[in-house]
This record gives sequence, structure tokens and C-alpha cells, in this order.
Amino acid sequence: MLVNRAEQLAATLPPLLVASERVAATVAQGVHGRRRVGVGETFWQFRRYQPGDSVRAIDWRQSAKSQNVFIRENEWEAAQSVWLWRDASPSMRYRSRKDLPEKTEQADLMVLALASLLIAAGENVALLGTGHLPTSGRSAYNRFCHAVLAEMTETQGLPNAEPLPRYGHVVWIGDLLAPLDDIKMRMSAYVSRGVRGHLLQVLDPAEETLPFKGRIRFEGMEGETPTLIGRTDTVREEYGERMTAHQAGLKDLARAYGWSYSVHRTDRSTETALLALYVALARGREN
Amino acid sequence: MLTLGSLAFASPWMLLALAILPILWRLLRVIPPAPRQLRFPAIRLLYNLRQQEQTPAKTPWWLILLRLILAALIIVALAHPLLNPSARLPGAGPLLIVVDDGWAAARDWPQRQRAMADLIDRAERDARPVVLVTTAAQSTESSPRATGLLRAGEARGLAQAMLPKPWGNDLKATLAAIDRLPIQGAAQAVWLSNGLNDADTTALAERLQRFGGLSVLADGAAALPRVLTPPAARGGELAVGAERLGAAGEERRWLRALGVDGRLIAREALTFADGANHAETRLNLPTELRNDIARLDIEDEATVGAVVLLDERWRRRPVGIASTTGFDASQPLLDPHHYLDRALSPFSEVRRGQASDLLKRELAVLVLPDVGPMAPHDREAVDTWLKSGGVVLRFSGPLLAGGADDLVPVRLRRGDRALGGALSWAKPLPLAPFDARSPFNGLTPPPDVTIRRQVLAEPALELGDRTWARLADGTPIVTAEKRDLGWLILVHTTSNAEWSNLALSGLFVEMLQRVVGLSRGIAGAAGEAALPPIETLDAFGRPGAPGPTALALPRGGVEAAVSATAPPGYYGNELSRVALNLSPALKGLTPLAALPQGVERGLYGGQREVDLRAWFMTAAVLIGLADILIGLALRGLLPIGPGAAAALIALALFAPAQPAEAQSFGQTPRAQVQRAPATGTDAFAMSAALQTKLAYIRTGNAQLDDISRAGLQGLSGALIRRTSVEQIEPLAVDIETDELAFFSLIYWPVTAEQRLPSAVAIRKLNTYLRNGGTILFDTRDQADIGIDAGGGPGMQRLRQIVRGLEVPALAPVPQDHVLTKAFYLLTEFPGRHADGQVWVERREGASEVSPVIIGSNDWAGAWAVGPNGRPLFAVVPGGELQREMAYRFGINLVMYALTGNYKADQVHVPAILERLGQ
Repeated sequence: MLVNRAEQLAATLPPLLVASERVAATVAQGVHGRRRVGVGETFWQFRRYQPGDSVRAIDWRQSAKSQNVFIRENEWEAAQSVWLWRDASPSMRYRSRKDLPEKTEQADLMVLALASLLIAAGENVALLGTGHLPTSGRSAYNRFCHAVLAEMTETQGLPNAEPLPRYGHVVWIGDLLAPLDDIKMRMSAYVSRGVRGHLLQVLDPAEETLPFKGRIRFEGMEGETPTLIGRTDTVREEYGERMTAHQAGLKDLARAYGWSYSVHRTDRSTETALLALYVALARGREN
Repeated sequence: MLTLGSLAFASPWMLLALAILPILWRLLRVIPPAPRQLRFPAIRLLYNLRQQEQTPAKTPWWLILLRLILAALIIVALAHPLLNPSARLPGAGPLLIVVDDGWAAARDWPQRQRAMADLIDRAERDARPVVLVTTAAQSTESSPRATGLLRAGEARGLAQAMLPKPWGNDLKATLAAIDRLPIQGAAQAVWLSNGLNDADTTALAERLQRFGGLSVLADGAAALPRVLTPPAARGGELAVGAERLGAAGEERRWLRALGVDGRLIAREALTFADGANHAETRLNLPTELRNDIARLDIEDEATVGAVVLLDERWRRRPVGIASTTGFDASQPLLDPHHYLDRALSPFSEVRRGQASDLLKRELAVLVLPDVGPMAPHDREAVDTWLKSGGVVLRFSGPLLAGGADDLVPVRLRRGDRALGGALSWAKPLPLAPFDARSPFNGLTPPPDVTIRRQVLAEPALELGDRTWARLADGTPIVTAEKRDLGWLILVHTTSNAEWSNLALSGLFVEMLQRVVGLSRGIAGAAGEAALPPIETLDAFGRPGAPGPTALALPRGGVEAAVSATAPPGYYGNELSRVALNLSPALKGLTPLAALPQGVERGLYGGQREVDLRAWFMTAAVLIGLADILIGLALRGLLPIGPGAAAALIALALFAPAQPAEAQSFGQTPRAQVQRAPATGTDAFAMSAALQTKLAYIRTGNAQLDDISRAGLQGLSGALIRRTSVEQIEPLAVDIETDELAFFSLIYWPVTAEQRLPSAVAIRKLNTYLRNGGTILFDTRDQADIGIDAGGGPGMQRLRQIVRGLEVPALAPVPQDHVLTKAFYLLTEFPGRHADGQVWVERREGASEVSPVIIGSNDWAGAWAVGPNGRPLFAVVPGGELQREMAYRFGINLVMYALTGNYKADQVHVPAILERLGQ
């Protein structure tokens, strides 16, 4: 069901080829030309033979046409590896109104659609935290779906620091409500290995606007200390400021590390959020 | 006690607590409502917010109001509010309650019991002793008519256990009982009257007044009981009358006629005209139904006075007059049936016909006027019926005198005896008085009834025992014999005035009545000394086992008055039940007349004291529940939205009102049964019945059905052109769904693929064949087939189809069969093929149309014409002569099916012509 919806969602966009100057070291051959010379199947250019070039690389037919000896160079074809992660902690299982989807549902949808797009483009995909190696192809997508749909009990809203190969890509989808310092710490562990990343914050509208009134005893969803607010309507403004500050902090953090950051509210369309993510991942491929 | 208009408080000091309500208001305003519980993921951002305003949210004002109402309700309930508080009893000394507990009080007995309970409550409040006196005649002498001085508790128990009696009041005995009461000094008397006047009403009222004071409660005119009088037979109808007292406006009641098992047989409107005290209605029912009526009552009138039990006296018994010859209406006075008819019809239903036909229906008495020897099957039917309990009444006459059969109780001499006349000096003899053992005992033979002629019994030992009536010289004139369960009675003279003038006398009618009464078990009861009670009615008209006080009625006690020892009900034994009704004795009832001066008079069902405490408490509990629900909803703990919560609360508040409404909906008048509109079946029946149709079976093979239709179309054209048949059309018939009874001929082309008819269709086809229908099976396989040979594919299928059908033995069409001469003279029956054998029922001297005709010549193919009137198929081997012969066969066939076999007479035509020629 969810997978079907994700497929429908992904069908609205062309396959997503991840932009990358430097491809993660683990990555073996891929199917997509990187528009430069490298290991691959497709012809790229002829070049004058230089000493040191392998004799086997000489294209005899081309060389016979002129005085010089040419060697044949192919286009570099390699796939990027993307590690996707989405928040599966209890705090994601929240919706403020009946007609809204839960945050976790949206995050799952988004991560599946993204994986589908990436795999369609031939990139390698893995779910961060499962320990799987990034793979491509239809079977990889199936395995990914299983991993997403399997009941995962994470207690924290951030991915663990995993020793990813250098120059990998990560995408984090979650509510990212953890303190900024925690997020920064986790991010820096990845950044230090040259990993580029994208943050997608999934929020319920109530988390942005705090639309409640009256005397309310708030309870956390992950065992936080409850707090009693006498008149919730009076603290709305201050809460909004805090939320804005938190989001600004996230944005700054992302910019500082060269990551991208976008926000998706569960009452908005998933296509928009996916498009934003798409653009962020694909950006820079042209340059 | 604090009294405010019609409201009073038994503990008014509790109302002081209402003063705390304003304090409660303040308190409820100050206490904040319990917080809502809410799970929220972004709780971290909520920690340590500066809260500008520490005053928490307030409880909404309407919730506070609701809680105040709750508190106020509880306080008021504790103050014990009473609506319409009863006044204190007037007078002093013991309270003397005189209760009319005769049948008339049953009409609204619960109200009387409430009145008693009310009085006893009030006496209890003033700690006054109570004396209960009942006025109905007591069932036994030992049961006390008046109690001694009782405490209220004892009196309440007695009052609750008291039941009205199904007989009238006995105020004289009541007066006597009151005189014996151990009351010294003053007492207050209350008389719960039944609202009817009595000879001793004034005496009793004056006596009671002497105790100190008397108040009388009585029903208004509209509440007085209605009385249903026993019905009278008027012709074939039962006329039932009803009486009421105190004529008021037009009133419509319903008369119900119930069977022995309580099922409703009839329900008729019984309308009292404006100002009239009498209403009458007539029940016109078939005799069998009418005889099933065991009880008539007025609907919703629960007194024994509105119930009439019926017994044999009201039954019309069917009497059959057997005739061998037709009824000769031209000379009724000579006809032996005429006198019987006139004598029997006032009290029984007379049927005429063949004995065996008469016995097919329920019959009480079979009368055989002078008949000759009966046909064997008639005789057999009469014998069987007689032995199983029938009564056969036979009259003599010249035929019986000529030669007696053995359907007589005594052996008869051949010939008859004539008294008087030209050649005799004996005079016509009158009848002797009847024996005590005779069923005619009690009837007085008028002296002018004389017998001129009779048949004589052979002297025999048992002759005396079998004689029910004699002539003055001792000759038996009516003899009877018990054969198994039935009676065979012979009147030794005629049932007309030919041999005697008995048939002209009233005695004849009475004797016939006794004989009719003899049927079905009346005979046994007539001789018994007393009739024990079987089932008695209580004052509400409900049947029940007879009480210990009910005694057997003396013989002929049907006219006895209803009393404590003879409650209304059924008496006798199970074979013959006699009904004793209360209403015949209720003549000249009048409403309660003026009472002596100073008597306070009131009506039942005045304003009663209502204790409101329970209502207030219930309301408080409901509001409390609502408050809990609201509290939960406000805290977000209800799994439903606020709207639903409000609906739930509304439901909780108004729940008590719901059942009452539901009940009122349940009691809507009986739904009008709507007539179903004419269905497709009706349309089919109309089209099939209004015009002669040639039916063909729809085989399901569209091509074949088209051929059948075209063939019958062609045949219809030929019929209309050549014969007197007009307007005949083909019609397709589905054997599974359509009714076949409308068709005299059905054409059934058989194919190998045809589906076998279902069991329902087989049953329908059998009925059709049995009732004179004809089916032409056309197997359409050209080969010449014998029924016993293997046959073509159509024939094989036909064998499977007819497996369940009642097909008679078949034979090839004989040379002289009607089919060969019904219209044309034919020797063979060609269709599209010429040489197929045609089979009809094999029966020597068949007098009916053969139900089945089977052939293989594909007639429809030969008859079939296209829209332009040209034949559709060539005939084999060919020639227009063959087609012409096919049409001729078709015409003969339709004639045969429509007119039957009268043309069979043509076999005699040559002989007739020959004779005429001579």
C-alpha cells in the first residue's frame, strides 16, 4: 500500500541521478556516464598516445587513419551510493488531527519514493542503520522496501554515526526535534568523512503553530518529563519563536556543512517536498 | 409538611440546604478544571516557557450551572416532594372500606385497588384501623364478608389480594355483615361502588352514613361496563346485541368472535348510536367458521358481562338431504324434500345433493327421504360415515315399502299398512306420548297429527328397544339403531303429507331438532342428572379451571342464574358442553341513582398523590452521568469528538423519554395491507385466457422457437380461413414458469438438446394432462420410429422428458380415430415428413381426448409461413398436396382438442342414415 503510493509519487519525477564530484570509494561500476574519462563501456574520446599508456588501449583503426597513434578513451560510468535514513522513533507517530497522516507515514513514503527514483537512475541505495551495502536494481528496491516496512524500534530521533565510505551521500528524513547540539554532533561525524547530506524535517502543523487552548498537561512521546501549561494560548507566540529558532539553527548547521535543508509539513503535498529533495540531490551535477 | 399549591414537601427543612448553592458557585469557579492530557512530540520546546498569566483556565459557566442544578436536584429530592398530596381523612374512628367486588368492578379493577391502597395509606398516616367489607355474594359461607379491625399493613395485603367475582352483588348480605361489625362509636365509611344501582343501594348508604360519614366513589357513565347479550340466529346470521348504561355520544367498539383455541374468527364493529343504549351487529360467516365460534366478547372490555360463551345451541348444523333425482321445483308441495327443507332451515344449514357428495363436507345429519336403492359408492360412503358417528335419518315411502335394503334399523315387512281409506275400517291413528327413554321425551304430540299410512317393522326382540315413537296402538313409527358411533333412524312414514300430516305439524320441526341435536354427542348429556363445571370465567372474562366452590348445574340448568356456586363458564362434559353466561341475567341495569343527603360522591382516578423523590433522584443521577462524560470530554479522554459527546449526553438525558415514544409508535393502527399490483403472471393469464391461443413450448433454441411460432401462425391462418374458429394466435409458453391451464393444446417440439423439465414443471404438466389438456409432442426426426424401437435423437430425448409424466399407454392412431374425421377425413398425418407414425392414447372406446399425441413429422415446419404468407420450408418427399394434408391434420388436431370427441358418433352415421332412409 505504502509502497504503491511511493511508486506513484516517484512516477511524477524523472530518475534521480545524484550529483557528485567525487563518488564514494566503494562504488564500483555504474551505468551512468559522468561526462569524463574513466572506466566504462561507452566511447568518450580519442587521445594521442602518451608514454605510459597501455598498448592495449591503442585504437588501431583510428591510428591507421593518420600519422599519430591514438588511444581510445571511454566515458567514466559509475553510480553514486546514497544512504537514506528516516526517523522511526515514537515521536514520529503523531498527528494532531484525524484527517492528517502521521509523520512517520509521510517519512516512509518520502524515503521509499526517493529510493525508487534513485534506483531507477541506477544509483545504489541502502537504508542507513541496517548495515546493508548500497545496491541497485529492482531486487535492491525490494530489499529496501522490506527494510523500511519492517518494524524498527529506534529510541532516538537521529541516526547513529556509521563509518560510511568517503564521499557518500546521506538523506535524513525526520522531525529533527532533538537539541541542535546533538544534531550537530551527529552530522559532524559524517561530514568528517566527506559525506554530503540532505535534511528533510517532517513536521505536523500543530508542531509549528501550537493550536491548543486551555489547561493542558503535555506528555512527551519518548518518555520526556510531562509539563503542565495553565493557558496554552498564552505561550503560543513564544513557542513559535523557539520553533523558528530551532529551524534557523538547523538551516545554519546544514549550510555550514554544505548540506541542504528543507521542511515538509504533513498537511502539505508530498510532491512538493519530494521535488525539493530531488532538486537538492541533483543540484550541482551539471557543474 | 410544606405545601405549595399542588406540590408539597414531606421534609421541608432540607430545603435550607439550597442556601449553600451560591457558595458552591464560588467554589466551582475558583477550582480550575482538570487539565487535558495531550501527547505532543515537540515537548522539549515547551519546557520552561515564561507563563505570563498564572490564572489557569476557568471551568465553563454552563458546566458550573449544570453542577449547581445537580446539587439543587439532590437537595429537593431529599426534601421529599409530593405532587397532589392527599388530604387527611375526614371523620374519626376506624376507616370502613366497602368494596363492590361483583363482576361490574372488574372493568377497572386496578383503579379500585389503587383507591383502596390510597385510602389505606391515608389511614396509616393517621394511625386509624381499617375494616374491609366486600359486597359480592361470597363463594362459601366461611369466607368472611367483613374483616375485623385491621392494621393498615394487614389491610393492604388483603386489598392487594382481593379479586372481583364473576357474579353480582348481594347488598342484603352485606348489610347484615355490617350490622355484625364490632365498631363502637364513630367511623368513617368509604364505598367503592361499581356505579350500578341496586334495590338495596339506598339502604346500605344510609346504614353506612350512620357510622359517621360516607363518601362514595363511583364510575362515570362512560366507565360503566358494557354488556354483551347472547346472540340470536337470524337466518344464516348471528345477531349480537350489546347494552350500555348512561347513553352518551356515538361509541364504536369491536365485537370479537374467538374459536375454541382462542384464535380470532371475526371482528365486527359494534356501534352505539348517539344517545342509544343498544347496539347490534350481525355476524355473517360460513357455517364451518360460525360453528367454530366458542366465545364472543367486546374488545378491550374486560368484564365477564361482555363475554358470551357459545355452545351447541348456537351452532348451525349442516344437514344434508340426499336426493337421487333432481329437485322438482314445479310441485313443491308434493316433493318429499320440501317439508324437510322448510323444517330444517331455521336452525340448520340444509344442503342437497348426492349422498356421497354431501359427505365430502362436514355433515351433522344426513336425511334420506324415500329413496330407492342407492348407488354402490353412495351406499359405501353412507355406511362408513354412519359408523364413524354420523346420524342418518330416513323416511319411508312407496319406494322403501316396495323393497327394503338393509339401511334400516329394524327389519321391515314388504309393503305398507294403510289406516283408513275406502277399503279399511281402521282410522288414521295419532301418536302415543313419547317414552322416557326416547330422545323425543318432553315433546307433546298434538292430537290432530295422524298417520294414514306407514311401513311396518317385523316383530323382533329388540324392536321395543329400538322404538322411539309409537302410534296410539303401539306400532313403532320411529325406530332407531345405534351403529357403532352413529345413529340410523327410520321414520316409518313419508316426509311429505302423502302418508300422514306429521310433516305439516310443529312436532315435525321439534322432532327434527331433537334428531339434529342428537348428532355430535348431545344425546349423552341429555340424560345425565347434573352438569359438572368444565371451565369457568373469572370476573375479567378470562377462562380458567373451575374454582372449588363451583358446583354442578342441575339438569336443564342452562337457564340457571349465575351465582357463587354457578359461575359463568362451560358445564357438562367434553362431548357436550353447555355454556352458562352472566349476561342473560343482567336485565334492567341502571346507573347509580341519587344517594341520601350528606353523602360525599366522587369519581375514581382523581388526582393521586405522586411521590416525586424518585424522579428528582433519577434526574440528578442522569445529570451526574452527563457531568462525568463532559468532564472526560473536556480533558480529551473520550475517544470521540465533542459533538458526539454532546449527542451522547443528550441521549443520556432524554433516554427515559425514548421507550414511551417507541411504544406509541408500536401501537400505530394496523398497517393497511396494500394490494400488490398486477404482476406479469396476471398479464400472461389475461392474454392467454381472453383469447384462444395455440401454445408452443419454448425450447430455448431460438431457431426452433421461431419455426414453432411461424408454424402455428400458419395453422392459425388456415383455421381462421377454413373453420369457424376465430381469432386464434400462437403463444410461447415456458413450462417452468407459466400456468398451463389456459390452453387446450400445447405443441411441444422435441430436440435432443432440450433441457429436462424440473420437478415443479413435471407436476404442472401432470395436472395439465389430468385435467384434460392435450400435448402434441413432435420429435421432428424424420425416420420412421416405433415407440419400442430405438428411435431418433428427438424420440430418445422425449423418453427422458416424459419419464415423470403420467402418459397413458399409447398406440398408433386407429383407422376410426376421431383425429381422422374431426374436420377433414384423413388417412395419414403428414408434416414436413410424410411417413412418421402418430401415437395416441390406447383405450378401447375412449371417451376423452387423448392427453398425449406423439409424432415425428415436424408439423410446424410444414405449417410455417413467412411474413409474406409463403411457406418457409419444403415438404419431403414433396408436393403441395402433402402440405395441404399437413394443414388438414393441424385443423383436425385443433378441432379434436377444442371440441373433444363428439365426432366419434360419426361411426354411427351410416347406420343412422340407413335407418332414416328406411
